Amino acid sequence: MIRFASLSRAAAALFAALVALAASPAFAQLAQRPFMVGGGEGGGGAAGGLAGWLIEMQSQLTRLIAADVHALHGNPAAIWGLVGFGFAYGVFHAAGPGHGKAIIASYMMASDRALKRGIVLAFLAATLQGTVAVALVGVAALIFNATATEMNAAADWLALASCSGVIAIGLWLTVTKGRALLAALKARFAHRAALDAAPIYADAPWRRAAGASAVVAFRAGPPDGMAATDDPAACGHLHAPDPATLETGFSWRGAAATVLAAGSRPCSGAILVLVFALAQGLFAAGVGAVVAMSFGVALTTGALAFGAVFAKRLAMRMAAGDDSRIALAAHGVEFLAALLVVAFGVALLLAAGSGA
Amino acid sequence: MNSASPACRPALALLLAALLALAPAAAAAHPHVWVTVRSKIGFADGKVVSVTHDWVFDEMYSSFATQGLAKPGDLVTRDIFAPLARENAGGLAEIGYFTTLKIGGKTAEFGPVKDGDYWMEERSDHLVTFHVDLHLKTPAAPGQYFSLLVADPEYFIDFEFDDNNPIALVSAPSGCSASIAKPKPLEGQDQQKLSESFFTNLAPGTNFGFKMASRVIVACP
Repeated sequence: MIRFASLSRAAAALFAALVALAASPAFAQLAQRPFMVGGGEGGGGAAGGLAGWLIEMQSQLTRLIAADVHALHGNPAAIWGLVGFGFAYGVFHAAGPGHGKAIIASYMMASDRALKRGIVLAFLAATLQGTVAVALVGVAALIFNATATEMNAAADWLALASCSGVIAIGLWLTVTKGRALLAALKARFAHRAALDAAPIYADAPWRRAAGASAVVAFRAGPPDGMAATDDPAACGHLHAPDPATLETGFSWRGAAATVLAAGSRPCSGAILVLVFALAQGLFAAGVGAVVAMSFGVALTTGALAFGAVFAKRLAMRMAAGDDSRIALAAHGVEFLAALLVVAFGVALLLAAGSGA
Repeated sequence: MNSASPACRPALALLLAALLALAPAAAAAHPHVWVTVRSKIGFADGKVVSVTHDWVFDEMYSSFATQGLAKPGDLVTRDIFAPLARENAGGLAEIGYFTTLKIGGKTAEFGPVKDGDYWMEERSDHLVTFHVDLHLKTPAAPGQYFSLLVADPEYFIDFEFDDNNPIALVSAPSGCSASIAKPKPLEGQDQQKLSESFFTNLAPGTNFGFKMASRVIVACP
């Protein structure tokens, strides 16, 4: 695997270069965007159509949240409005760029085939993100009476750590999934060669048996169960699939690292709500709103993670054929999703670098 | 991957379809900071020489900016705000001063902002204002009309002209008048750009905030 070793080396060099870029004074200079709020969250958006409606909703919700914090002074029942608007804000807000959403969804596509786990990961990442914002504002502003500049600096460090972590996880996934893809490619070639050499196909040009593909195309079981449910003889298989090429590849350790990386960057919107509530002497209400926001974010992110895993399952089912072919499709999708995780990390880093 | 294409083609198509479905939602970020704008356009000898902004921030950003700077109950003065004002002013050049002044088909260039050109303070209603004087590098003849746009190209900040006295012309030639034009609705192509931006930079690219901005049109006889 010489090619593979050089790939890892290239990946390591890329990562080192990114860390150097992020740590350079140029990065610190660029980060001085006027009137920024920490968290490295980009702006961006449009007016018109659904996108414009979403923006308008969030702008309205921000005003409603602010109004409810004011209302709390005379009317404790305003807390329910605050929680409700916070939740709605989270649902819409998670649709924005830079949120853990894309990372979690890509991670799930790269490493898992279980639908429920994506929702759990999304929930954990959103909760962590809310907790980090509360901890940041709670410690920095409430205890140390830090200024906006100091809070921005702290949030930027967290954002930097978060993107570096995402890039590292993405590279690790790329290496792992690249290796699995190569193995699957080899298995596929070996499978074809074996079929060609088999006496019953000796004179026939290679072609997928029509009957076999029809059976597989409408198979209802999960692709993971392929090895167990298929009767190899019925499909004309000459060897059982290599279990190593069909493993799910999910590990709670990898998932925990992803949650940590995706969730450690506080969200600018949450910081603003918390500082505003603090200035009104109602920090606890701000915490309530941020907890509600986190649930909203988890809902959107979870739905996307669910969608990502579902899309992959569907893709594998459509890649009808024998097991080595399905394995190849699965590993191809996973490898691309791993590259996406790296891309999201780099994009976040660049966004943070430009101070957006 | 080429050798694997028959197996991967449907899978890839689906993966792409799924991502494209996510893209429009992903691009729908929104501004975090709202600013109400009042601007003055300064003339000298019949030419445009300066743009002076007074930006009033929304109450959330205002509490963020004033956090930790003054004793509870006290207003944050220009002196106390000086370091944060300098930090914000220092980044203005890079983002184009959030100001686009188009005269005679050309975009006017502003000189660097110096100490004394800007200040920040907390008003009695606890909203923070930022004041800045921008000087044109070379004075420009107004011609029959010119336009002023105040916008954040990345749309992190939403700039809106104030409903009352949004624009003033100072020492303008007699007969010059200013009016506000609302933004045009976005076209299909812009939505397309939003989807593409999901893959390139997670932000819809530069100049997007410009499409959202109101525009001041100044007409001179």
